[in-house]
Amino acid sequence: MSEKPAYTKPLPDLRPEDAPFWEAMKEHRFILPCDDAGKPFWYPRKYAPGTLSATSWTDASGTGTVYTYSTHFIGPSKAYKGNPPHIVALVDLDEGPRMMTILVKDEDGYPSLDPDDVAIGMKVQIVFDDVTDEITLPKFTPAN
Amino acid sequence: MAEGTPDVKEARRMLGKGICIAGVGETEQGIISDRGSFELLAEVTRTTLDDAGLQLSDVDGIVTAFSFVESTLMHSTTLADYMGMKPGYFASVAVGGATAPLMAVQAAMAIDAGLAEVVLCVRGDNTRSGISSSGMIAMAREMSHGAYEAPFGLTTIGGYGLLAQRYMYEHDIPQEALAAVVATQSEHAALKWNAMLRDAVTVEDVMNDRWIATPFHAMDCSLVSDGAAAFIVTTEARAKSMKKKPVYITGIGEGFSHQYISEAESVASVRDGLGRAGRRAMEVAGITPQDLDVAEIYDSFSFTPLIALEGFGICGPGEAGDWVMEGNAKLGGNLPMNTHGGLIRQAHLGAMHHIVEAVLQLRGEADDSDKTEFNGGNHQVPDAKLAITNGSGGILAATSALVLSSEPPSAA
Repeated sequence: MSEKPAYTKPLPDLRPEDAPFWEAMKEHRFILPCDDAGKPFWYPRKYAPGTLSATSWTDASGTGTVYTYSTHFIGPSKAYKGNPPHIVALVDLDEGPRMMTILVKDEDGYPSLDPDDVAIGMKVQIVFDDVTDEITLPKFTPAN
Repeated sequence: MAEGTPDVKEARRMLGKGICIAGVGETEQGIISDRGSFELLAEVTRTTLDDAGLQLSDVDGIVTAFSFVESTLMHSTTLADYMGMKPGYFASVAVGGATAPLMAVQAAMAIDAGLAEVVLCVRGDNTRSGISSSGMIAMAREMSHGAYEAPFGLTTIGGYGLLAQRYMYEHDIPQEALAAVVATQSEHAALKWNAMLRDAVTVEDVMNDRWIATPFHAMDCSLVSDGAAAFIVTTEARAKSMKKKPVYITGIGEGFSHQYISEAESVASVRDGLGRAGRRAMEVAGITPQDLDVAEIYDSFSFTPLIALEGFGICGPGEAGDWVMEGNAKLGGNLPMNTHGGLIRQAHLGAMHHIVEAVLQLRGEADDSDKTEFNGGNHQVPDAKLAITNGSGGILAATSALVLSSEPPSAA
């Protein structure tokens, strides 16, 4: 029986209003918060930004376009030491909102995409990386 | 002077009282492991009071910032207690890199409201020597959204990198433009007595440096340093009996576009949001970019001043890189910028040193040639009368700008 090494990279702060998102992620479903007119926004909040209207959740495609990226040669903590560079990106989702993610290869363990394989405007799609028993992170990989 | 909107007129009314900076001071900068945070603040307060010709008992207001090392929710009064003061006005300002100009605005408003007449604005910390590694990680995470950015391994450097790479993509800006900012400021830091990095570097040196997060090499990034700086804000009437020529605050302005970098709408919206600070400060002062003699522009990264120069209307969109590469920002150029070396060559204390340097320039005292023990040189812009300076907190999130003048606002 192989056991995953302990995950030591940053984990999300968990707030009550975020619970539906992380629950869905655990089930490998990608959902977005919407305002009372059905318009999706990001990042999730209990009340919609700008109007403070009631909100709901909607299923999302998990596809989008790279708006920009930065190849990180140094990470924010010791957990990144010795790792190859990781690529933090902002992705414009097909539904409209822009979100931060990390660009990876669609392989076991989701290793970082090679910096040479990234470009602004590239089409990407979500992959679900179960980094702990509780947390699944939305990472993105080049679209098929 | 053009007619302003009512709020601009109100800002002019306040500054028309002759709100000025009557004293400045700065400590050595760099790695100062033998002095604590409050000790540095007291040391620079002594220097600054000497500069103005004041006693501590003359100060009736204190505005401070925050500390990464000395954790307190009451920073201004904790320092007042440490220094043995009983100020009638006190405030701690905490808007990251925008803090220093906001401290000046806070002091001006306190004076206008009759809460104080002589306000000490002081910021310093032993950030480099005193911070713990968990403190450093917490500081890095501070700039990220804790749920939707931090888990992707974003660093502050990379957060700026995201915007910088999009800016370079949209305007076809070469890497050399960023390197030219570093090379320019390194020539200025070589003359500034307390700059941490005193060697002049070339564009090639920067281009060949190690990567931290694209598009930034190590030399494109600001320093982490220990040190302190301060300035005293007062009225023209009180400044007349002090030692130094007053430097007037003739324009103030703020601008905000987003908190988290994921929330920034576009390069244009960020440029416009932070640019409002400088455009409004110039509107209040009744000046245009062509009137400026010197610009002390917040430079957390080599990219940072480029988008600010464009936002303030000093350069057109996408034109600041060429403007710097053509030598306009150098001493002797059209609008010398960061004549003290800035955050990337002198030290990182938010925008405190930008304000101190602007005041020294407008007093004609930015010549460190007499500081032979520090191998100082002359970084004075001849006959400088008008300066703009700014600071930005977060990842170009919140910006505050000042226009400073050697002449009172009525004559502007």
